[in-house]
Amino acid sequence: MSTILRGLQFYPGKTVIHKLDPRVKLVISLLLMATAALYLEVTIITIVVVIEALLSIVAKVFSRWARTVYGAAPLIILVFIANFLFKLSMPGQSLSFQSIYESLRLAYRLVAFLASFSIFFLTTTPEELGMALTKMKVPYMYTFAFISAIRFTPILAEELQSIVDAQKSRGLELEKGNMITRLRRYIPILVPLMVNVLRRSYELAEAIEVKCFGAKKNRTYLKELKMTTKDWITLSASIVLFTVAICIRYFSRISIP
Amino acid sequence: MIVFENVEYVYPNGFKALNGINLEVNSGEVVALMGENGAGKTTLLKHLNGLLKPTSGRVLIDGVDTRHSTVASLSRKVGIVFQNAEDMFFSPTIQEEIAFALNNFHFPGDVIKKRVDWALKFMELEEYGEKSPFLLSGGEKKRLALAIILAWSPDIVALDEPTVGQDILQKEKMIQIIRQANQQGKTIIISSHDVEFIAELKPRIILMSKGRIVRDGPSEEVLTDIPVLQECRLLPPQIVSLTSKLDFLGLKPKLARPEEVANEIARRVRHLVNYS
Amino acid sequence: MREVNLEINEGEFVILAGRSGCGKSTLLRCFNGLIPHFYDGEMIGKVEVCGLDTRQHPPYILSQYAGMVFQNPDNQLFALTVEADIAFALENLSFPRDEIKKRVNQALEIMGIEELRDKSTLELSGGQKQKVAIASILAMHPKILLLDEPTSSLDPFSAKQLIDTIIDLNQKHRITILIAEHRLEMLLPYASRIIIIDNGRIVLDGNPREILEKHDVIPYGVSVPRIVKVVTYLKKTLNNSLIPWTPLSVEEFVDIIRRWEKK
Repeated sequence: MSTILRGLQFYPGKTVIHKLDPRVKLVISLLLMATAALYLEVTIITIVVVIEALLSIVAKVFSRWARTVYGAAPLIILVFIANFLFKLSMPGQSLSFQSIYESLRLAYRLVAFLASFSIFFLTTTPEELGMALTKMKVPYMYTFAFISAIRFTPILAEELQSIVDAQKSRGLELEKGNMITRLRRYIPILVPLMVNVLRRSYELAEAIEVKCFGAKKNRTYLKELKMTTKDWITLSASIVLFTVAICIRYFSRISIP
Repeated sequence: MIVFENVEYVYPNGFKALNGINLEVNSGEVVALMGENGAGKTTLLKHLNGLLKPTSGRVLIDGVDTRHSTVASLSRKVGIVFQNAEDMFFSPTIQEEIAFALNNFHFPGDVIKKRVDWALKFMELEEYGEKSPFLLSGGEKKRLALAIILAWSPDIVALDEPTVGQDILQKEKMIQIIRQANQQGKTIIISSHDVEFIAELKPRIILMSKGRIVRDGPSEEVLTDIPVLQECRLLPPQIVSLTSKLDFLGLKPKLARPEEVANEIARRVRHLVNYS
Repeated sequence: MREVNLEINEGEFVILAGRSGCGKSTLLRCFNGLIPHFYDGEMIGKVEVCGLDTRQHPPYILSQYAGMVFQNPDNQLFALTVEADIAFALENLSFPRDEIKKRVNQALEIMGIEELRDKSTLELSGGQKQKVAIASILAMHPKILLLDEPTSSLDPFSAKQLIDTIIDLNQKHRITILIAEHRLEMLLPYASRIIIIDNGRIVLDGNPREILEKHDVIPYGVSVPRIVKVVTYLKKTLNNSLIPWTPLSVEEFVDIIRRWEKK
């Protein structure tokens, strides 16, 4: 789980990919996902994954990108097994190489999905994401909620650790007991956490009040997203490639392995 | 009683917080861990009850290796009062809050009642027994945190920054409590950067910087070693600062009571008058 | 608060002192409209800040005259980078972009934290966070700065750095300072006034030197610097002409002795 999370964290970078407008990156991720959705053929999926790998190399985040994919392995295996068993339960199906292959392909497609979004998150700061949301006319309330979530999650995580430490030091043993007794043991963790969150919200509300939050309806912004030539070119190229992919899928007779 | 043998600790993110700690604390000592934020004080404290286990070296509490014990069993002997201890309350009443640890440590029911009553009395919270811990004032909450730990009478009591945000009266009370607990035979470890508070208490001082112990000795020696204090980003107590800057009068940096310093200055002043 | 009558002039450096729970935090909140607008309760009487009646103006107006900095560094930083946080209040007030840029640069410069501009707020030390918090308030160009125990969670070195910056704000930039604090030794030599509060009432109000000379402030939960105690004992043994006025810092003390020695 933590490997997947680490693959989603942002690390600062100055590559071409990092500098692209986040909206363009979002579109690229979506197009890659859509391409993977259109095709089940292994060759095409592999092409998609290879494109993603190349992008991650250009962005110098290859090892972290690979780690996300690797970290998702349990999930992918789960999907494979679930799909295979489902297939078997259908009337007329039997254990054959064909059915294994089909389930594998489905799971493999999932890899392409996850990998495409990983690139986006690895090269976009939450701030840029916030700016993208604002530019797309999302009401500020929601963007602010999103940024605050990113801002305060590490702090809450620390707080949680603090509480766990304190209660363990009072003799609380979380590992012991069956399911039901174990749940009760989490009360000394959850109650203080809730109280802490509530208290913090109060202090935050005060601080935000003195920073004039909500004072004016037409909020201004220090930074704004602007599409550059590079952005437009990248965007156009991606759309063209995607269109080609659709055409091959629906209009050609080429059979693909 | 407490032994650290070549202890090193590296956090999961790679940060080396403890870099070769060798330490021995005997039963009944009062020891202060001092140093700037990030020097490793809290990390060291967490090794006392096994919350953290050394990545290299070992920690022995009364001869027991912490790597082979659970936090629960070590906590029976080592009570740690963390900095934001007020953030660990969850019970409907203060009595239940104090009884929580006693239940976890399998104290018999009648003993629990006695201990809860004693702890409330000792920390001057008797009138609040049935009250909710969340309704206490800041100072009262801190007292409750102490009551909770003292109730199960650990041999070793560790306090992490006990004076943060406290006024002078609360600090004086804290010194009294520490002295009383020590008189009852407890070993006390305090992590603090409140130099004046420590100067008042005059414990053995262990100075830490960047995960190492830089100085280990009595208060009179460590708190007058101004260069080492500055190296650890600590300001010396005012009295020490004053006496060191009055070197032209013949004074040396010293940790003394204001009255003694006043007499010393008066003596030198009269001396000069007699020779002028 | 009980029967508080108070007048503070521009450029003053005022310490609010007293035991925990005495009412200093409450008093501070009267100056920026949090009382009466943010808190429930009853307010009797009138508070005027820079000519504005606090009952008639909302906190977002008053905060542009009297900005407030709180105790917990984490609970007053909202953005993910330092620059974004300093701009936050100005964005909320719909300032034009150029003006925001200008003020952010100014604030970074005044607080001496230009190198932190692009840093993530999650990576900063406690002292750095508090400096950013002050900078984000300074961006609104308030005439008054209200500080509620800003050094509470900082180690002594960072606390001293922060206090030195605050003193600078008062001496170089003429910002009126109202600071509630327990750690007084570093502040006393620079304060023009100390107000001691006990149980919601002002019990002492005046020049720090005089107050500490003439009164026993410890029962009010106010810590007396050790050197002042030394001075009290010295005055008993020697005649008063040696120590004409009460030094509030080690430097002042040493200075007095040196001058006397020269004579």
